[in-house]
Amino acid sequence: MMDRRQLLKAALAGSAALSLGGCTLLPRKSGFNPELYSAAVGKPDGTFGVSAFDLSGQPLWVSPVATRCHSGCTRPVNNQLVFFERRPGWSFYVLDASTGKRLHHIDAAEGEHFVGHGVFSPDGRWLYATASRYEPGEGIIAVYDAEQNYQRVNTFELAGIGPHQITLHPDGETLAIALGGILTHPDYDRLKLNLDTMAPALILMNRRSGEIVGRLNPSHHQQSLRHLDVHPSGKVYVAYQHQGPRHEMPALLARMENNRLREIRFDDETQAGLANYIASVIAHPENDLVAAASPVGGTAVVFQGSTGKLLAKASIPDCSGVQALAGGDFLISSGQGKLVRIGAQQPAVDIAQLPLYWDHHLV
Amino acid sequence: MQPIIRAFCASTLAVAASLSFADAPMDGPQNTRAGWHAAIQSGYDLLAEETTQLAEHASSYCTAPDEQLRAQLEQHWRDAFMAWQQVRFVDFGPVENNNLAWQFQFWPDPKNLVARKAGYLTNSDQPITADLIEQSGVAVQGFPMLEYLLFDEALSNSKNALPAPHSCALLTTVTRHIAENSKQLSDDWHSFKTPYLNTEAYQVSTLKSAMAALEILEEKRLAKPMGLRGNGKRNPYITDAWRSGTSALSVEATLRGLQQHFLPEFLKLLEQKGEAPLAQRIQRQFEAALDNFPGADRPMATLLSDDNAFRTLQGLYVDVSQLTTLFNDQAAVALGVVRGFNSSDGD
Repeated sequence: MMDRRQLLKAALAGSAALSLGGCTLLPRKSGFNPELYSAAVGKPDGTFGVSAFDLSGQPLWVSPVATRCHSGCTRPVNNQLVFFERRPGWSFYVLDASTGKRLHHIDAAEGEHFVGHGVFSPDGRWLYATASRYEPGEGIIAVYDAEQNYQRVNTFELAGIGPHQITLHPDGETLAIALGGILTHPDYDRLKLNLDTMAPALILMNRRSGEIVGRLNPSHHQQSLRHLDVHPSGKVYVAYQHQGPRHEMPALLARMENNRLREIRFDDETQAGLANYIASVIAHPENDLVAAASPVGGTAVVFQGSTGKLLAKASIPDCSGVQALAGGDFLISSGQGKLVRIGAQQPAVDIAQLPLYWDHHLV
Repeated sequence: MQPIIRAFCASTLAVAASLSFADAPMDGPQNTRAGWHAAIQSGYDLLAEETTQLAEHASSYCTAPDEQLRAQLEQHWRDAFMAWQQVRFVDFGPVENNNLAWQFQFWPDPKNLVARKAGYLTNSDQPITADLIEQSGVAVQGFPMLEYLLFDEALSNSKNALPAPHSCALLTTVTRHIAENSKQLSDDWHSFKTPYLNTEAYQVSTLKSAMAALEILEEKRLAKPMGLRGNGKRNPYITDAWRSGTSALSVEATLRGLQQHFLPEFLKLLEQKGEAPLAQRIQRQFEAALDNFPGADRPMATLLSDDNAFRTLQGLYVDVSQLTTLFNDQAAVALGVVRGFNSSDGD
């Protein structure tokens, strides 16, 4: 029986291993460790973990977790990573980013579950996690103090249902929260309970007071606003998962502009390729490019943020994670273990393929 | 190491096949969908007929209950439930509206919500109305609730046993709810024909729906109760329809539904892709799986407790498992269908 390290080594040594063509330095992220990527992973034996890999695509460690995780965030100090269990998430893990060693395992508060995402304050003290009070179906931001062993210290109300991704505006004060609008309850698995009455929104919140300073709605109430990213210039991009029938093909991306959501729709063929479902959106910090990935459609796109003009498109089955690469390109991960580089100027290039299933987001 | 290599190769092949599929669309995909549409329509029409009869018989029984009507009512529940099993694989299109699939059958039910909700409703003074059922959630609105009222042992020995008025009210109201949903589904599927034929994405949706149904059949409806997964213990209560003893019969109905409503066009599709030998193997494997019945048509509890019966169930499991492999590995690759770790997640 091989252990995990042997397995990874064997896979890397095999013909299926890597062709590492010019995987350049990562851009500096808001925190530390720009040379390390991490993601939740599924393993071929049916178990789950969180894995980190270096600039060459080499796995550095795989930290086992009890159930499937979704995404996480980097703590800007103390070399820590936080990963949240997949919705309904009953806990999050705090890991040493260098070794994968588990430092804390924090359970959700009674009556609440996490939904897969969180973000730190710029000083790394406060962790803001999207969560749901599932009996009344209320979306909240749960605030934890990382300096006090991740004690729960505060709760901010979202006055809405189904928050998902959260990020911090470059002003360091404003949280941007994607409110999906979909009511779920752990008793009913992931069943969507309110598709007719959904009220998705982009919410802007003061991270100190919890005051909601902006609430922007998409053009259609079934545009579940699930993911978002903020460019260092402050431009906010959001991505939808449309809950209507598949043959409807509305816009799936939008940019916040003049306090409204300006929606971006591509040609019909590209929209069909996105299959009404975007799993990640990333605005490149070095330029005006934005990338998005749809695992359902097996399509990744790169477009110009300011105009919405489509610049590149690639067919990558089960692609989901997106991260910005230094130099202006993007890295896409897939549930089939692939890492693919894509940019506006040249065709997508396979960087690596590992015997792991990259789960949703690159962190 | 071997399973990993296999999984890895399969995914690599799937990528290649998917790319080539993008370049060379299938011949006559609209014809294929036209065939599927008609076949599924016939399945939905049957469901609408059976559930209408069920509602009528529930009403007759509760008006003048006797043993004969009760036996007929139970048989009508089985007929309607099996009609649902035959179209249960369709997980896209109108059946997604208002969570209809979940309304028909809330399962799995690890917290026994059906019994809890039934207990609440039958013991409450609140009148059982269509509105109440509408608001009570999917655990109340479908076949499992009726199954509980008709077949649950504890209930049948209690003061709330049918034909107790409140239980009868629940029975008749839920049967009407199911009949209305079935009629709606049949009508909506009819209206869905144009977008279904005109939207290529529904080709893959249809293929994936059958593949997912086989996977659920193999893993959740057979392997888990048989103790082949998890803690290794046999457990008849984690499969569906255990109260009525029709778990295995419902497996058969799902297989027959796939055979009748999905397989003919699927086999043609494989043949058009130059995969006639694979099409023949799949056809034979369907027949082999269905040959296990009626040997396996006993309650799951019996099939799991008796070693001879368990061997029959094992035979069925092996046949379904081989069928799933033929579909989800070989045919999926041949047709460029990728069922992903992320794409099936929903976040």
